[in-house]
Amino acid sequence: MVIVNGHSIISPLGEGSQANFEAVQAGRSGLRLYTDRFADVEPFCASLFDTPQDFVELCVRSVELAVSSQNSAVSLQDAGTIFILSTTKGDQLDLLRPAQAIARHFGNPNPPIVVSNACTSGVCAQITAMRLLEAGIYRHAVVVGCDLQSRFIVSGFQAFKALSPEPCLPFSPERKGLNLGEAAATIIFRRQPSAFSSQPVWTLEAGAIHNDANHISAPSRTGEGAYLCLKDMLQGLTPADIDLLGVHGTATLYNDDMEKIAIERAGLQDVPVSALKPFFGHTMGAAGVLETILCMMQMENEKWKMDNGQLQIIKMLSGFGGVNAAIRLKLKIQN
Amino acid sequence: MEQLIEQLKAQIIEALSFEDMTPADIDTDAPLFGEGLGLDSIDALELIMLLDREYGIKLADPKAGKAIFASVRTMAEYISTHRTK
Amino acid sequence: MKVESQIEITPTSVVLNGQAIAVEATGEKMLVELYRRFVGDYPKFFKMDTLSRLGFIAAELLLKHSGASEHSDKSCQPTAVILANRSASIKNDRDYLATISEGNYYPSPSLFVYTLPNIVTGEIAIRHHIQGETAFYILEKPEDLEPILLSTFNFKLSTALAGWCECSEPNSFYAKMQLIIWNN
Repeated sequence: MVIVNGHSIISPLGEGSQANFEAVQAGRSGLRLYTDRFADVEPFCASLFDTPQDFVELCVRSVELAVSSQNSAVSLQDAGTIFILSTTKGDQLDLLRPAQAIARHFGNPNPPIVVSNACTSGVCAQITAMRLLEAGIYRHAVVVGCDLQSRFIVSGFQAFKALSPEPCLPFSPERKGLNLGEAAATIIFRRQPSAFSSQPVWTLEAGAIHNDANHISAPSRTGEGAYLCLKDMLQGLTPADIDLLGVHGTATLYNDDMEKIAIERAGLQDVPVSALKPFFGHTMGAAGVLETILCMMQMENEKWKMDNGQLQIIKMLSGFGGVNAAIRLKLKIQN
Repeated sequence: MEQLIEQLKAQIIEALSFEDMTPADIDTDAPLFGEGLGLDSIDALELIMLLDREYGIKLADPKAGKAIFASVRTMAEYISTHRTK
Repeated sequence: MKVESQIEITPTSVVLNGQAIAVEATGEKMLVELYRRFVGDYPKFFKMDTLSRLGFIAAELLLKHSGASEHSDKSCQPTAVILANRSASIKNDRDYLATISEGNYYPSPSLFVYTLPNIVTGEIAIRHHIQGETAFYILEKPEDLEPILLSTFNFKLSTALAGWCECSEPNSFYAKMQLIIWNN
């Protein structure tokens, strides 16, 4: 178990977690139609920044915002702090160099870790952070998720016939596919609780990664890996203990079918779900971090639901390579 | 038509990386998916791209592919009536 | 922690548990040679990119030809595949880029799917029916994987296929993978 010490989101909907949460609450979406952003690709619907962003600068800004939101200060230069970057395509196909540049910018002495586990990266990176902290190898972890869109990515998803020409409709019978999105999001974790605070504290309690072992691009028809993840997250609990389930909800025909099967197999069908891609698109490496933050904020807004002084959420993701991942977080009043 | 069928078989072998196969190994009327060649969803998408690249045919609806990709013969028939190059 | 078996593959050499396996071809052709000699019945191999072929062959030799599979207690069946490298999927990224060049824009879906480094872990999971954890990390050097593995498996009874799997150019690659068993 590790503690969520601070977080931030930068997306086309705004700067900072609060601005993004308010945008979602107000029903604002970053999705719009792009007809001439990239050469050759067909018109596509996505959530992109108005001006092209520099990958490293965007990540640095995201970390700075997360630092300023913290419950208690974490020294980024400290050898006890590790930087973990979650991305699929990094800075123009380079994944390691931007991670090194971010860590160097903050004067961090450790070799950074890049988690590149397809669309599950953002959740996997949080699991990696939790384990390294729990094993006592580091005291703090800065998990940054970021991906920017490109002709490379849009052309590939179009070749896969996976993009919807309209805003995506997760779990709708009318869904036509996914929309891509750009964002950077950061969560800072700490091992030790900070000094007493009257504010409730989020903890990352558990995480699991499972492969479908079925196909490299098509989701399992029985939701095998996703089900195994959910089952792990429910160990020692019942579905009634879960207050919110953050789904992947890409709005492709097969992903949403697969998730529905996995959710039902795990007995979680009565838990409220959060599907955020109609607001942000699929932000790839950022998705797991960004969507986890917004699920936490949603719960903070519903503290009246607390029983036994706590609320619990599960965030799940699936991706190419047959990989699935889930984490469970708990909001608890310190005592 | 026979010439197109032979050419198409060679293009399918190339596009789908069937390393140890020759055009003679592909039965013109055997189903491409399921039994037969046992193609999968990525292969289907690659065949859609093959139609575009080699014959100038743009298949907007991937579901339409099902009937067209039933066998090499149905594919060749579709190409001969729809090709733009 | 016990290293049950280990393999090292370079473009010109294959060493399994300290024993060199004689090969005739080099580079990508050597991987095909190894496939024909040691596998032969998995035509999906030819659809894979070089990174996946490298990881696939390494896993195949480690699991089926290292003597590990002769254990009767099945403790050598891995439950996880954790790999890392430095250049992600850059070789295949370039191959995909070639299909979207200007004036010749025909993006290949079968190349696009391999523009993610973790696909190799998926290929190994499919081949060996591993429904446990699969993960891919991009790191400066192989030693940086050690704390990640330690924290992943510490105190847990598990068997994992883990290591370095790098391919930056068609004929420039390096794999050093191990079958590792953790007991308490």
